[in-house]
Amino acid sequence: MKLERSKEWWMARARREGDAVIGAGLLAFDPVPEERPTATAQTAAVEETRIAFGKFVNLMRRRRGFSMERLAEVADLDASELLVIEDDIHYVPEPRTVFKLAQTFEVSQRRLMQLAGLAAANDAGFRQEAVRFAARSEAVHKLTPEENSALEAFVAVLSEQDPKRVK
Amino acid sequence: MTVNVSKIYLLDVATDGSVEAELRDAIEQAQLDDWQTKWRPALLTTLQELVRKGVPFDQWPQSWHWDWSKKTARVQGLLAFRGFSIVAQGETQGLAQVDLTKAAREANQRGKPLVYLEYLEVAPWNRPDLGNAPRLRGVGTALITAAVALSEDEGFKGRLGLHSLPQADNFYRKIGMTDLGQDAAYQNLRYFEMTSEQARAFFEKEENDET
Repeated sequence: MKLERSKEWWMARARREGDAVIGAGLLAFDPVPEERPTATAQTAAVEETRIAFGKFVNLMRRRRGFSMERLAEVADLDASELLVIEDDIHYVPEPRTVFKLAQTFEVSQRRLMQLAGLAAANDAGFRQEAVRFAARSEAVHKLTPEENSALEAFVAVLSEQDPKRVK
Repeated sequence: MTVNVSKIYLLDVATDGSVEAELRDAIEQAQLDDWQTKWRPALLTTLQELVRKGVPFDQWPQSWHWDWSKKTARVQGLLAFRGFSIVAQGETQGLAQVDLTKAAREANQRGKPLVYLEYLEVAPWNRPDLGNAPRLRGVGTALITAAVALSEDEGFKGRLGLHSLPQADNFYRKIGMTDLGQDAAYQNLRYFEMTSEQARAFFEKEENDET
C-alpha cells in the first residue's frame, strides 16, 4: 500500500492536528512506575512529619557546612534526590536514601524512616515532636542558636530507641 | 516481506517547517530497537520527573496499567503483526498495529469488515501531554491516514475501528469518527468507528481548507 499525496496535503493535516494527544489501544498506555505505590490521599500526618524530615536533613547538612553535593558524596547518595527531599514535601524518599542519611547523621534508622513517611510511628508523641521541630526551625542562613537548640532537642528524639526499651 | 515506503511530511514544531518522513507499512526490528533504546528511556525520564514534581495520581498523562516487562514483551511481539511505522530524522516517530479480522459495530455498517487499530502510539518526544514542547506534529494523523488507506486497499471502504486512550477522545471526535461509547469489555475505553463516508471526508479533505 503506497500513499501518494502532496507535501501541502500532509502539512495541512499535520497543522490541523494542533496539540491533540493521539493514541489507541491498551498497549499505548504508559507503564506503572517500578516503585512503591503512591498514596492516592496523603494523610496530613504523613505530610507533617515529612516536612520535618526535609527540614531535619537541611539543618543537619548546614550544621556541617555541607553543600548538597558534598553531603551526597559523603553519604553516597544522589544530589538531585537530596534537593527534592529538602524542597518537596510530596516526595517519598527511597528507603536506601533514608538508611544512608540515618547512618551519616548518626540517628535511629527506624525513627528516620518514620519521619520520612516510610514506616508507621506507633507513638503520637513522636509526630508531635516532629511538628514542633518543623515549626521552630525556620531556615535562614547558618544555624541560629535557636535553630541549633531546636535541632539538638530533635536529634535527641530521633536517637531514642523503641519507647519500651530502656538504655 | 516487501515493505512499502511512502514519502510523507510532518511539521517541525520548533521551526514551523516541514520534515520529510517515511510511512512504512510494517514494524521491523529497527523500530522495536528504537522503542527499546529511545522511546522507553525518554518516557521513563519524563515519568520520573512528573513523580518528582508531585503530580497527583489522577493527573498523570495516561492511566497506568502496564509495567515495562509486559509492554516490552508485547512491543517485541509486534513483529508478528501487520503494522505501520513512521520514521523521520533517523528515528521511529510513531507506531501502529492493525487487525484485519474485526467487524463493525456501528448501526449502519454492522458486521462489515474494518481495519481495527489495535495499537497506536507516538514517540514520547512528540507527545503534547508530557510537559515538554512536542518535536514533530502530524504523526498520529499520518498513522490513522495509513489505516484508512489500508482499509480502502483491502476493500473495506475506509472503515476503521479503535479504542481511544482517554486523552485522545476529542481528537477522534474532531476527525469525524462515531463515538460508540465506553466499552466495558476493554477497560472502559471509548470505542470509535469511522464509516466509509467519514473516511472519504477524512481522506480527501482539501489542503486549503484552513480555519
